[in-house]
Amino acid sequence: MTATESRVKDLPIILPEPSEATSGEQVEQATEEWVEKFRGYYDQWGTLLQQNLDRLSRGSYSLHWLDTEHTHWGTRVQPSSRGLTAADIDRPKVYGTLPEHTEWRNFAPRGSARDLYKDAMPVIEGYDVLDKSHLWADNVNTLYEEAKVRQWNSTTDIPWSELEPVSEELEKAACQLSTFLTEVEFVAGDFPSRWVWRTAPDFFEVNNFLTTQMVDEARHMEVFRKRAMAGAGGLMHPSPAFEWALKAILESPTHSQGTFLLNVLGEGLVLSIFRAGEFLSKTHVDKEIFRLCMQDEARHVSYGTLEFKAYLDAAADRERALADMHRFADIGEQIILTALSEPALLESVAVLMGGSVAEIDEGMEGVGFLWSTIVEEYLQRCDRAGFSRRDRCTIPLEFPWAA
Amino acid sequence: MMGPVADPITPSDAAPAPVARVAFPSVQWFEALGQRMHDQRDHFAKIGDMDCTMQLTLYDASPAGQPWRCQVEFEGTDVVDVREVGEGDEERADFVIETDLDTWREMVDNIVANGGRPDLDHTLNRLSLPGVPIRLWGVDPVRRDAYYRFNQSLQHYVNNAAAFGTRWPGDADEAPLPAPDGPAARA
Repeated sequence: MTATESRVKDLPIILPEPSEATSGEQVEQATEEWVEKFRGYYDQWGTLLQQNLDRLSRGSYSLHWLDTEHTHWGTRVQPSSRGLTAADIDRPKVYGTLPEHTEWRNFAPRGSARDLYKDAMPVIEGYDVLDKSHLWADNVNTLYEEAKVRQWNSTTDIPWSELEPVSEELEKAACQLSTFLTEVEFVAGDFPSRWVWRTAPDFFEVNNFLTTQMVDEARHMEVFRKRAMAGAGGLMHPSPAFEWALKAILESPTHSQGTFLLNVLGEGLVLSIFRAGEFLSKTHVDKEIFRLCMQDEARHVSYGTLEFKAYLDAAADRERALADMHRFADIGEQIILTALSEPALLESVAVLMGGSVAEIDEGMEGVGFLWSTIVEEYLQRCDRAGFSRRDRCTIPLEFPWAA
Repeated sequence: MMGPVADPITPSDAAPAPVARVAFPSVQWFEALGQRMHDQRDHFAKIGDMDCTMQLTLYDASPAGQPWRCQVEFEGTDVVDVREVGEGDEERADFVIETDLDTWREMVDNIVANGGRPDLDHTLNRLSLPGVPIRLWGVDPVRRDAYYRFNQSLQHYVNNAAAFGTRWPGDADEAPLPAPDGPAARA
């Protein structure tokens, strides 16, 4: 046993006293498991540690990192007019070619001299999304750059001091809509987070974009929570109908299926609501909120549409992939319809459109226009992805409202 | 046609000059908006770069009462091209907004009357919702969605109509407007 090995094996396990504020036993058990796991890997990392310490103790250098034989040394990336963009650094094929499938389940950067170290690398078991076809969209680099430069701050970019009082029933409707939007924005951020940590770093372009989506959705959740409170109203009624739709999105079996349900259908729906927000808004404050959120949401919809297209285009058996997606969409549409038909959503929007509870019938006519837009734009995006739902869509094309 | 918008027409440190009216519809009118956009580069950079091509079709705005079509190409914080186009050129635009001259004029008049920020009923997006006077469409729904992705920048671009006078069809070719007191406010 080397000196280093002895030192590691003899390390005392020092655990804090379990506290009532934390699940003490769980922490203790998890810590023990982690320690045992990495003790078990000692032959691999301990060898590296021993070599490094030996070298240091000899006062010698390795300088292996100066060797460029297995790198792409000398490949210069050129900035475009906008600066050095994500697309610019993907332009040289040696750096920008994404694998259709990767076995690199660690952090070694694509394009580095990583082949030399393959056998010594750890495997991150959590990385289990290894196929480009479940992630990629041709516009992902463009959308990532766009997301970076079009960020905004709900604290300072919304003219909160200009929020004008409206009637109590209009404020209740605005707060109910804000409550709904707060609720749905949680899942729109949580869904990508569920997949980012499973996605192999070879597909970092997608992860980068998805992290901007997470930031966008955090900001939307924040701004609608603020809006509910800023007019002295408050958060209103959450809805089981919403929650079932959100659960279906979050628990989608694959990233592509969930992206279809969230980005194409769900966010397409919310995009139309944000757009209609210009109509619903009774103040410049609300109009500014909806306009800024609309821009962010449209990026997510664009990614979803082209990701879905890329998934279908890459399918080895396209007919089978289409059949699976139709089966998924048949129930997915019905679950989203459960949320879309929720009175806490439709009625609050109708009151905002009509101008009062007494004029809710007029508002429902406007909701009918909105409904048709939501469904038609959804079908257009499906067409664009190569997934025709026009003869199979289970959401009524016309607003099912008997005035 | 125009190349990348160059130096400001009116340097910001110069005394305000009388504002010439710009005829509408015309390529020059959209170039004038582009010039103001260029002058406000910091403001538009804060909102975020915009890369898209917009087509405006006015059903009844040509001298013969026929459709008039114009495409405006945005890149970053600049207008890099404005061109009058014909029927069938829509493929070159990410999205098309179509309306009649009266609707466009009412929108611009409202922007001017409110000092560069339209009221709640006269924003581009509000007027282009389904069932209202401006029709939005595109040959590709993903490219069409650029209208949504860049809507704030598009609105601020159009809001700059408050910074100069517009000579509408039928208006007398009159003297220029007096110099404005200051920069137009924005939505």
